Amino acid sequence: MRKLFLLLRHYWSFILFLILMAFSFRLIAKRNSIQGVDIINSSNAIVGVVYSIQSQIQQYFSLKKTNAILLQENAALHNQLSKEGFVDTFEDLNVTVPIVGLDSVKIKELSNPSEDDSTTTQKDTIQFRKSNVRKVIKYASHYYIPARVINNSIADDRINIITINRGAKDGIRPNMAVVTSNGIVGRVLKVSENYATVLSLLSEGRPYNAKLIDGTTGSIAWDRGSANSVTMHKIPKIADVQLGDSIYTTGYSIFPENILIGTIAKIEIDKKSNARNLRVLLSTNFRNLQVVYVVKDELGEEKEDLEEASKKMIK
Amino acid sequence: MSIYVKNILRFILLIGIQVLLLNHIYLRWWGTNISGAPPFIAYIYPLVILLLPMNMPRWLMLLLSFGTGLTMDAFMNTGGMHAAACLLMGYLRRPILSSILPNKMEEFKQATPSASFMGLNSFLLYALIALFIHHFFFFILEIWSLKSFGYLLLKTLATLVTSLFFVLIYHFLFEKRLK
Repeated sequence: MRKLFLLLRHYWSFILFLILMAFSFRLIAKRNSIQGVDIINSSNAIVGVVYSIQSQIQQYFSLKKTNAILLQENAALHNQLSKEGFVDTFEDLNVTVPIVGLDSVKIKELSNPSEDDSTTTQKDTIQFRKSNVRKVIKYASHYYIPARVINNSIADDRINIITINRGAKDGIRPNMAVVTSNGIVGRVLKVSENYATVLSLLSEGRPYNAKLIDGTTGSIAWDRGSANSVTMHKIPKIADVQLGDSIYTTGYSIFPENILIGTIAKIEIDKKSNARNLRVLLSTNFRNLQVVYVVKDELGEEKEDLEEASKKMIK
Repeated sequence: MSIYVKNILRFILLIGIQVLLLNHIYLRWWGTNISGAPPFIAYIYPLVILLLPMNMPRWLMLLLSFGTGLTMDAFMNTGGMHAAACLLMGYLRRPILSSILPNKMEEFKQATPSASFMGLNSFLLYALIALFIHHFFFFILEIWSLKSFGYLLLKTLATLVTSLFFVLIYHFLFEKRLK
């Protein structure tokens, strides 16, 4: 017994080392399973306060840039509004917004008075739908909650996490979509009272749905290590794909439909299946995230419940 | 200045530099516009552990390195990766130091293993070895596969070079004033 104690005393530091190492591996394992409850993250109180003070100071230096982005966004919104100006209520607007696979630059061109044909046809379709589909009041209503990014990481090899300064108090729940004015960012991971962490698009794990300009759907997955590109896998050969085409979100996942994801930068042919893999250059600049919007889908839960219930019925 | 105050000041200063400054500087090597080489960050905060006094008992050393790592983990959302890497570095600090220094460790009481004490060359060697251990272990944990070993080495070396550069700058800026 005495020898055992002597042995313990001799290797005491090594044993402590092993214990602490096991503890930190436990923390890593918890972090890597996304459902896990990790205690140590940047949505806790002290760290959140440090980061929000920092971002308060930092935002003064980027006021000019932020202003420019906001002006652009305003202009795009005005363009959209001017097209739909005759629609009475906001709810109707949601119902009748035509689904057009064009990005904002092209929308600007459409709203020019020179191209009267396209706008009138759109008006016609809207009026047609409005007169027929009267009962539908809510089709999909998304509320955009603005939030400021107070911490952002892009250098991690597998999971990148963003911290924002809105939390459960502002109605943010896990698994909500996060977008910027010109692209998608990710989904909400964990929520505390005043802060929330966002699983960035630059992470391994669940792929997101995406569609091409002609409506072909597929899924995008992150290229490990890159801060500005994702890959859209296995697009069949019949799909019309060209360099520079835009990629949009589908309505299947948590994101609202028709949000720009990025543009095709490279087309690679998969030799085994002869399908094509598309390298997509993201339109979101993850190096410079300032303001993001958390999207609250009013009918999202209902949709999910319904899908779950139908899956159960089949089983 | 008392040795406790000095080390606490150094802790706050280094964690501050790391969290508020270096974490926002994404460096990259060459690379094209699309999916070039991955971005990386320089790590300067291991200096907190490297510059602790020499006669510190080993168990305290381990606890302090673990605490420093956990602080960084909280700021960077990395679970326990920094804690694990710091722990390994803290555990191996004594063998590294005793292999570099001519005398036995017990003879230097409360001395800090800094450049003004051991000379710039041997301090750089010490920092190089210790930071290599830290970075290598950290990137193994982060990448978590040995499939692309070259990539792991490349990332480690690139980060190591930049970290050492920042360590030198820090040393010339602050370490002489803390004395």
